[in-house]
Amino acid sequence: MGIQEVQGSGGAQAYQKKKSAERGEGFQKSFLQNLKDRDQTKQTAADTQNGTGQSITDTQGEAKKKAKSVGVGRIGITSGIRVNAVAAQEALQAVEVRHMSYEESDHIKIAVTEGYTLKGKREDGEDARVYVEAKYDDGRLEAYQVEIDRVSENTQQEIERFALETMKEA
Amino acid sequence: MEEKWSYLVDEYRAMLYRIAFSNIKNRADAEDAVQEAFLRYMKDEKPIQNKEHEKAWLIRTTIHICLDILKSGWYQRTVPWNESFENAAKNIYLPYQVKDDQTLDAVLQLPVHYRNPIYLFYYEDYSIREIAEILNEKEGTVKTRLRRGREEVKKFLTERRP
Repeated sequence: MGIQEVQGSGGAQAYQKKKSAERGEGFQKSFLQNLKDRDQTKQTAADTQNGTGQSITDTQGEAKKKAKSVGVGRIGITSGIRVNAVAAQEALQAVEVRHMSYEESDHIKIAVTEGYTLKGKREDGEDARVYVEAKYDDGRLEAYQVEIDRVSENTQQEIERFALETMKEA
Repeated sequence: MEEKWSYLVDEYRAMLYRIAFSNIKNRADAEDAVQEAFLRYMKDEKPIQNKEHEKAWLIRTTIHICLDILKSGWYQRTVPWNESFENAAKNIYLPYQVKDDQTLDAVLQLPVHYRNPIYLFYYEDYSIREIAEILNEKEGTVKTRLRRGREEVKKFLTERRP
């Protein structure tokens, strides 16, 4: 029994050695696995981030494209006068800048603290349309044509409100 | 020849007076500055390339004359009695109606390096490129001054509000 015990003990030692060796191998394996996993995780995270970044950029790009197509220009994305996309589709249309002077305008708004000026002129013709030119202190110059019939009297959108005022002034 | 000068005076006198007044805030001195600018233009023998260049030259010269007057010893020692700096906006005589005199007053109180770009941009409707040419500055400098000047105007109006 004692021998057995000794043997047992030796066996135990051998087992311990084997076990620790296995453990060592296991550690190495798991360490390597962990390294691999971490690399993979990093890669995935980077991919995801790039993907998301791309998608944000895409979304912004699309938004810009859409905005441009409905006449919002860069206003909705950068600082400036916010234009409601739906309202913009209906009443606002981006047009070519005519470089109208204050003297030629029917109505002007000077917003020093907001960093822009607006000039408005009622368009000739049967339809009630107003040409609005916006100049920002970052150098942007944008122009819109506003169809007054499509603008709500209670609109909160600055360009539309200004167009209504221009219509009254003209 | 006389026709040319009278055309020039008719074309720019009012605008130059407003710019001079925005700097000097005194009617008589502003008128003197504008006259001096016209005289210098007439005496100047440099060829003027085009109308834009002519206008820029006159504005720049008017501003320089105003700054010279403000720096003069006589001006430093005296205080104009007939105009209040607080109501300077009422003496500008813009060709259009300004609803907010307080903001224009605030603009006129700004230091000269903010006041001229802001006044020219908002009240005379010049572009950043034109202002850069008039003031002999880079476009980036003008943009920065417009932004900082705007902040100063906001601050001024907030402090003034009861």
